[in-house]
Formats: sequence, C-alpha cells, structure tokens
Amino acid sequence: MSPKKNNEKKGRGPTVTLDFEFKKRLEKIVDGALVNYCYQCGACVGDCPSTRYVPEFNPREIMLKVLYGFAEELVGPASPVWYCTNCYNCYERCPQNVKPVEIIIAIKNLMARRGIYPEKAQVGDLVEMVLETGRTAPVTAMTKKLREELGLPPLEAVDTDELKKILE
Amino acid sequence: MTDAEPKKFAFFPGCLIPVRYPQMEAAIRKTLPKLGVEIVDLPGFTCCPDPIYFKSYDKLAWLTVAARNLAVAEEAGLNLFTICSGCTATLSETYQQLNANKNLKEEVNQRLARVGKEYRGTSTVRHVATVIRDEVGVEAVAASVVRPLEDLRVAIHYGCHLLKPSHIMKVDDPDDPHILDDLVAALGATPVRHDEWILCCGKACKHEEAPSEMMYELLKSVAAAEADVLGVVCPSCFTEFDLGQLRLARQHDDESLKTPAVYYFQLLGLAQGLTLEEVGLHRHKVKAPALEKYAAAAV
Repeated sequence: MSPKKNNEKKGRGPTVTLDFEFKKRLEKIVDGALVNYCYQCGACVGDCPSTRYVPEFNPREIMLKVLYGFAEELVGPASPVWYCTNCYNCYERCPQNVKPVEIIIAIKNLMARRGIYPEKAQVGDLVEMVLETGRTAPVTAMTKKLREELGLPPLEAVDTDELKKILE
Repeated sequence: MTDAEPKKFAFFPGCLIPVRYPQMEAAIRKTLPKLGVEIVDLPGFTCCPDPIYFKSYDKLAWLTVAARNLAVAEEAGLNLFTICSGCTATLSETYQQLNANKNLKEEVNQRLARVGKEYRGTSTVRHVATVIRDEVGVEAVAASVVRPLEDLRVAIHYGCHLLKPSHIMKVDDPDDPHILDDLVAALGATPVRHDEWILCCGKACKHEEAPSEMMYELLKSVAAAEADVLGVVCPSCFTEFDLGQLRLARQHDDESLKTPAVYYFQLLGLAQGLTLEEVGLHRHKVKAPALEKYAAAAV
C-alpha cells in the first residue's frame, strides 16, 4: 500500500502512517525484540536467493520497514514477504542475530490473522488438510499401488481428534 | 556392525515420502537394518507440521503440533529419526525453542494437557543421514556395500533445512558441508560439487517466475558438472528436480536438463545389492540409465 498522500494539497508533502505497535506484535511471535539490533549492514542481502532473482524482495529493507513501523506495506496485500524462499541464509549471515527469516515468518502470521495470503501459497488449504487428515498430501489410489509394489504396509488414516483439541 | 546390539530409533515418516514417494521409505526400511539400526514404528504421529506454510499460518499452533509429535516419541522412551529435511527442521526447532524457553514450553503444555500429553524435551531429533554418520559411521556404511558404485558421479544437493540454522540443526558447516559427500564416497561413488550447490530449490518462494529461474540456473550448473545423478535427502527438493526438471527442459527446449534426482538411501540400497525396482527408481520421471549397469552387476 502506498503512503497516504492526503496532505499533499496542503503543501506539506505526502503523509506516511507509522505503526509503533507493529514491532511489538512481531516480538510476541519471534520471542524477543530481535529487529531492534539490526544496524542495516545488508549481510542478509548478499546471499539471499530471492533478492538475486526478485530485486524488490530485500530482507534489509524489510527489517528497516519494521523498525520504522511501515506496517501496511508489510502486512497488506502487496507485501513482498511471500517471495522469501525460507532458505535461512540471512539467519546464518546476520552478525546481530536478528533472524530476518523469522521476522518475515512472523509478518506472515500477522497476515494470516487478517486472512491475507497469496492464493498460490495455499496456506489455508494446507492447514485445513492437516486438521482434517493429519497429513499435507492426500493418500490416493497411486499411493496404495506404489506401496503395495514396494512391499510396504498400507497407510492407515491418522487420528486427528487430538490435533483438533490442541488447536482449538 | 551386525553383531552388535541394534540401535533403536523411533521412525518419523512425515507426509510426502510415505504418500508420494514411498520408494524413499522402502529404501530406508531396506537399508538401515543392514547398518545395525532398528526402526521402531510408533502409532500416533501426524504431519510434523510443515515448516513453511503451517509455520507461516500460526507459529504457536505449529510448535504445539510438533511438540505433540515429540511427546509421542518421549512416551516410548526413544530418540527420533526423520527422513525429510522439512520434518527435521520443524521438530529440531521445536525441541530447541521449547527446551530454551520455559514460558513457551508451559504455553504449549497447557494445550497438550487437553489430550493428556506433556512435552518434556527428552527425545532428540536427527535426520537419518546424521544418524548414519554419527551412530553408525561412514566406515560401517562402506562395509555394507556389496556392489560399489565405482565411476558414478553424484552431484549433491544439500538443500537448506538439513543444515540451517546451523546452531539448531547441528549437522555440519553450512558453508562447506561434507556429510553427504562422505556418505556418497562410502558407496564407492564420486561426489561432485557443482557451481550452484548452495542455491535453494526455490519451492517456498511465491513469485511467478523466480522459482523456475532459480531451478533452471541450478540444473544447468548440475548438467555442466557432468554428473550421472543428483543426490538429495529431501522430498520437497526432489519434486523440483524430478517433475520440475522435466517441465523446465520442455519450457526451455534444453536437452541438457536430464540429471536424474535420486534419494541418497536409494543409492545405498543399490550398493547394498537391491534392485532398481526394490528401491523404486523405475518410478522416477527423469530416468537414470547410468544406474542400470550397477543393478546388473553380480552381488
């Protein structure tokens, strides 16, 4: 989402909405004020495979937006966070132990609470499937055929009662 | 090794391998007993749950389901082994986080108490490749080989979640890993490190073009290394290299993209004397003609 520009006509330039609570909501998910330690060195960018192919995805910039409180850009529908490959290179490289990938995952958690995730990611479908069947992949006729051919026992249905209770 | 008391581990099969690639499960079940590892099947496991989508949805829910799985192994008094890098990531991270954070552990245990379960943090989690290296030893793997895979060039894809975050996974140096190279060499084969060996398979990236661009780069690098097969330890990466490679070869009309992806334990099975069918290699989309001569060799 682009910054609000309703002040432009008054000659004050564009207005940007800052959400000072945003960092704190992320802290609860990643367990600590990790992003506060980011000094914008860019070590997370050099080995980021997503940045290599999608320059608009930049973990350093995402950390900066978290620090500033540009919440809408990160949790809105145009958020770049789903371009992350979850490779953990940034986690390894960060000299400040910011764990950028974990911050990005926490941002995704906030998006999920609003019901926003890209259709291609099929997050909702996958979670529903795990709750219904206990697995991320459906047992098909092909599964049965392959297992029989290899001398493996058939897969039994997973009991999901406990799963549903612990996630209520 | 076979004379010693077998080492017992709870087997965490995950979802993708038993459902989509049972040939990998078959390879595990047929090769580990020859290394003195006893596989214990426990009832009650669910999806790990997956470290990309489920974790992105709700991290606390993700930790809770993972802790429940770990509690199943704890009740049996066994350490766990996993056969998929994703399951390894989820269960290892849960183990590390809950054991390091008392409040988080309590929060999770309040939920588990609803079904009479408790996470205590007593069962460790290791990927099967790590179990083999640390509990069996590379020498014992070599000793189990009856059909050395001599002259076979194996490019290795470590993938991301076997190694990183390294302080949690505790497997190898993520910038210069050797575990899979050593295990491949133990089969008599030659490990090959290609230029893009560290590149991610890109599966979790939800950009329109980037994941296939990443894969194309990676597979061209594998082809340039003139490897006979591409060794993997993760079923998610495998999907990208098998079906994904076929798709990319057509899309780019590039005949060089034909390096068959093989799960490490299928190679081990072949070297231990199993047939191509017994380890299910005939079911892969990208065929591996280079392996036929080994399968035909006398045992």
